[in-house]
Amino acid sequence: MRIRDVVIGANASMYYRLNFSKIRGVFYPRSEQEVLQIVLKANEQGLDITPKGGGSGLSGACTGGDRERFMISTLQMREILTISKDQRYVDVQPGATPNEINDLLEPLKMKFYVAPSSRDIATVGGLISTDGGGNDTWVNGTMRDNTIRVKMILYNGAQLVVDWDGVRSNDKSLEEKLNRAGMTIHDVASSHGTLGIITELRVRIKPLVEEELIGGVAEFDDYDSLGQAIQSLIDAKFPVRYGEAIVQAHEDVRGDLRLPLLVLEYPRDDALQEKLTAIADFRHLSKEEVEYLKDTRIKLPKRNPKEGIQVALFEGYGLHGKSLTEMSHSITEVNELLMEDGFRPFAKYGHAPSKWYLGDNSEAFGLVMHSREIRPEGRSGKEIFKTVARIVDKCLELGITPKPEHKWPFSDDVKKKRIMKLRDIIGGGFNSFILDDNAGEVLGSMV
Amino acid sequence: MVEFDKCVRCGSCLKICPIFEVIGEEQYSPRGKLYLLQIMDMIENDKELGKEFRRLLFQCTLCGRCSETCSSDVDLLKVWHEQRGKAIHEAPEEFAYLDALRDALSEVKNIYGLDPEDRAVFWMDELEDEFPNLEEHVYSEGKTAEVMVFLGCLMSFRGSQIDVVRGLISSLEKEGVDYLLMGAEEFCCGHPLYLTGDDAGAKQLRDHNRDVIHKAKAKTVVTCCPGCLIQLSKYHELGDVEALHHTQFFDRLLKTTPKTKRSEEFAYHDPCELHRILGIKKEPRSLLNKMKVNFREMDLACCGGGGLLRMTDPNLSDKVIQLRKAKERIQDTTVVTACPSCREQLLSAGSKTVDIIELLAEALEDEQ
Ligand SMILES: Cc1cc2nc3c(=O)[nH]c(=O)nc-3n(C[C@H](O)[C@H](O)[C@H](O)COP(=O)(O)OP(=O)(O)OC[C@H]3O[C@@H](n4cnc5c(N)ncnc54)[C@H](O)[C@@H]3O)c2cc1C
Ligand code: SF4
Ligand code: SF4
Repeated sequence: MRIRDVVIGANASMYYRLNFSKIRGVFYPRSEQEVLQIVLKANEQGLDITPKGGGSGLSGACTGGDRERFMISTLQMREILTISKDQRYVDVQPGATPNEINDLLEPLKMKFYVAPSSRDIATVGGLISTDGGGNDTWVNGTMRDNTIRVKMILYNGAQLVVDWDGVRSNDKSLEEKLNRAGMTIHDVASSHGTLGIITELRVRIKPLVEEELIGGVAEFDDYDSLGQAIQSLIDAKFPVRYGEAIVQAHEDVRGDLRLPLLVLEYPRDDALQEKLTAIADFRHLSKEEVEYLKDTRIKLPKRNPKEGIQVALFEGYGLHGKSLTEMSHSITEVNELLMEDGFRPFAKYGHAPSKWYLGDNSEAFGLVMHSREIRPEGRSGKEIFKTVARIVDKCLELGITPKPEHKWPFSDDVKKKRIMKLRDIIGGGFNSFILDDNAGEVLGSMV
Repeated sequence: MVEFDKCVRCGSCLKICPIFEVIGEEQYSPRGKLYLLQIMDMIENDKELGKEFRRLLFQCTLCGRCSETCSSDVDLLKVWHEQRGKAIHEAPEEFAYLDALRDALSEVKNIYGLDPEDRAVFWMDELEDEFPNLEEHVYSEGKTAEVMVFLGCLMSFRGSQIDVVRGLISSLEKEGVDYLLMGAEEFCCGHPLYLTGDDAGAKQLRDHNRDVIHKAKAKTVVTCCPGCLIQLSKYHELGDVEALHHTQFFDRLLKTTPKTKRSEEFAYHDPCELHRILGIKKEPRSLLNKMKVNFREMDLACCGGGGLLRMTDPNLSDKVIQLRKAKERIQDTTVVTACPSCREQLLSAGSKTVDIIELLAEALEDEQ
């Protein structure tokens, strides 16, 4: 074992205590050609392959689980290959980050509008594989909405170009089969490295927008009213540019906030204002007041209660449809589960309206709610993972998307079935542990 | 909670690390090294891994950019400091190459292993014609002055620094400052030992310097070297004596300065230890602006010369400055800086460079 084989396990999820002896090689290719050589070598040796970008994913998918495997990092594939301002796209290697792309676009007054908070490290290859997005998905969509095409290498070395119309490949019979199966970008989005390794992307860019925004806040008597107001904004396709709900906060950090509340920023326009007033009792906020609330929200995950330490046990809950409009029920159920397992609710907040995709590629709109809790002392990794697994089940029962933003691929049966169908055609070989029945156990062993 | 356990492995510190930037593999990144500490219980029985890890700890310029970036408040510099000390303690044989440095510091109190008397010889020989009273300004028992100048090992011994020493002395003279240079009574500030995590060794050197500074009844100690300033201001326990960087000293002293005659565009390289670790950002720029120096800011990134990297891995150090040079397009530009160590790096990469004090001395001279 060498240190570079161990360090490749570094990632932002709580699944980081890997069985390093299963890692058979770590590679940092610079070009598609180098990737191809590594893939063929893995194929020859019958090893699995796990692609890794910035390792900022929070599902543990970039660890590769417990398979005997090669790990391919794209951190050295970060070149911006072409910028077409006229046709509004950028061709880029998979290891580039949104920040790196936007640094080059800024002088051209163009922007790549995918802005996760992790944009300094998350790679575009990782972002399409998790279908990530920022707090502006309501306006700008998720990564898949901003992807025009991807190039991939499969386990047998075949090259694919996948776009919204289908697939092209140097293996014509494969191309035909995949097109018959209807493979598009939808399938690559959120596939968590299970299909192949992405070696290049063409992403959409748009002109930089500067518009005058005004801010407002509404305080609600209960969670249902908050959820219904968010739903009304969604139904009205209200042009929210920034929307943040603070749902709950522990008394040690709540200050003078009246919760739940919803802060919005939207374009200055009388007609819009009227529409908004009809939805809820929004009062105007000055720029300073908006900044104060944004700051309060940003600090929530960083502050601790007077006693105990807070953690993010399960970063995100995608409340939409009934789980949003009947939010009181959703929150009560989740909190009860947490408390049964010894976790005390600390804060809940998140962006709304937000957009994400479900496993069947339909769009979901709602609140991406982050949750922080005060952790009990002396829990083992396995016990903590048990709570995580219970939360996932609870989400599915309540119609909440588990981790809509950071993604939780392990319980998405629709998506998994689709991936398996495509893998039957293209062959497996990539990040297979996600599809294993014992994926939960493997994750539990890495907490 | 131990410091490194606060790291949530988010990766924000990866791309800003100069070492990761040149090598591009995760083990060279701050996150990578903290990760190794977090899972150390899983690998500590593997001797080879331990050895590799200890080596990695010294493949770092201690530029502090990781600490500055981290939003989880991990004090990475503190971690690197403690872990370096621990590494040398656990496996001294792996750091035999540092023995010469340690021996030199314990025997002759300078990093070059040269006779301590020579501290005041090289620059004296060079400069005594220009400054005939220079001898009087060299400290010996009984002499006192308002300002004590602490040159540091690099500026005392290296020919490449002579223009900076000249600039400093010239500016002090022009402004009629009551000053002394510590000369042969100056011991190394202890920074190199501190960078190896050897606090005890550094303390001995500091104790001597403090004594001299107090005996000279100085109110202020001035140094051009940010590394020395870290030691003087944070660890020398100088009491009422204020330790200042030369840019701070002259920016305070001179409300206005004459305008520089140089019209070319310079690039300002802000030394990591100066702006990031000591938080001195305003004064160098203020001085440049007072002199109406036309300069552009360079990225606030490391030159590759810190953290003893020149000694622990000179190739890596070269790679950092070469990449920096290429990225910042400084081929035909003179880089202004305010640190003898950065100056050495820039010179080694074939770049033209001046210290702010050289520009100041020129401007003051031109005025006369
Ligand atoms: C502090 C913090 C804030 C975050 N904020 C957000 C946010 O606002 N929005 C959001 O959506 N996410 C957020 N995330 C989660 C994370 O940044 C995203 O999931 C991101 O998409 C992961 O990208 P990555 O390059 O780090 O991928 P990794 O974590 O390295 O990998 C993620 C998945 O992608 C696969 N993969 C990576 N590269 C390739 C490739 N070239 N080909 C095939 N498969 C590949 C991996 O196998 C893995 O399954 C945040 C994470 C952190 C730590
Ligand atoms: S930025 Fe801080 S929390 Fe994030 S990986 Fe680096 S040290 Fe860890
Ligand atoms: S101190 Fe500088 S060189 Fe060292 S790990 Fe941090 S960023 Fe990298």
